[in-house]
Amino acid sequence: MEQLSELQLPNILGAEKLAIKKAVSIARKMGFRKDRIEDLKTALAEACINAIEHGNKFAENTKVGVTFASNDTSLQVVVHDEGEGVDPGKIPTERTAEDGLPRRRGYGVFLISNLVNEFSFEKKPGQRNEVKMLMHLNG
Amino acid sequence: MGKDIQVSTSHRNDIAVISIKGDVTAVTGEVIGSAYQNNNVTNAPKILLQFDKDCYINSGGLASLIDIASEGRKKAQKIHAYGLSDHFQKIFHMVGLTRCIPVFPTEEAAMENF
Repeated sequence: MEQLSELQLPNILGAEKLAIKKAVSIARKMGFRKDRIEDLKTALAEACINAIEHGNKFAENTKVGVTFASNDTSLQVVVHDEGEGVDPGKIPTERTAEDGLPRRRGYGVFLISNLVNEFSFEKKPGQRNEVKMLMHLNG
Repeated sequence: MGKDIQVSTSHRNDIAVISIKGDVTAVTGEVIGSAYQNNNVTNAPKILLQFDKDCYINSGGLASLIDIASEGRKKAQKIHAYGLSDHFQKIFHMVGLTRCIPVFPTEEAAMENF
């Protein structure tokens, strides 16, 4: 993978749109289809929002980093925060509330995992918390 | 970041129309919620959500729309939506929102199917 770009976002809801703008520019140059670019926009937005809200817990003195890297067939986007990391077992998986309506919250990871080709969390001791997403050009 | 949204309400017979232009997020969802709580809207038997095809909707915005769907169900309101891009129609299907807010391709279809 060749690193293409790195952004440092302020830890404020809405800042994810800066990352989306960059992602769109890169994905267009790589030749992604329009519908896949829309998928990437939503997945990246949700990863950034999770980092701001659950990773950095809205702390204004923290940052969210986004790195873009690519090869001939794929675009990799990594979103990292300064938080404690995520226990995958604690992420809600139930989509329907007791009243039969969709649950009110908890769609970030669900959307990401359904919109990108590969998705993983990583937290190494003493290091940053990362969400890694991979989009295949022909995916 | 500001509240990048424009919300207006109008009526067509017994249908209250909420027009939404801009970002649908946790922050701007409050604006949509306020429009829904307007007496002329919240008591209408039918609600039409009119989206802009260029709108941006995130999970916080979906939560705001689920709140409206929940209140609408308690009042036996019918809520329809149209104007969404293909992508956000897909997202509505993914999260199950179309079970309570059916999405239509055109305004005419949304109105006729109430």
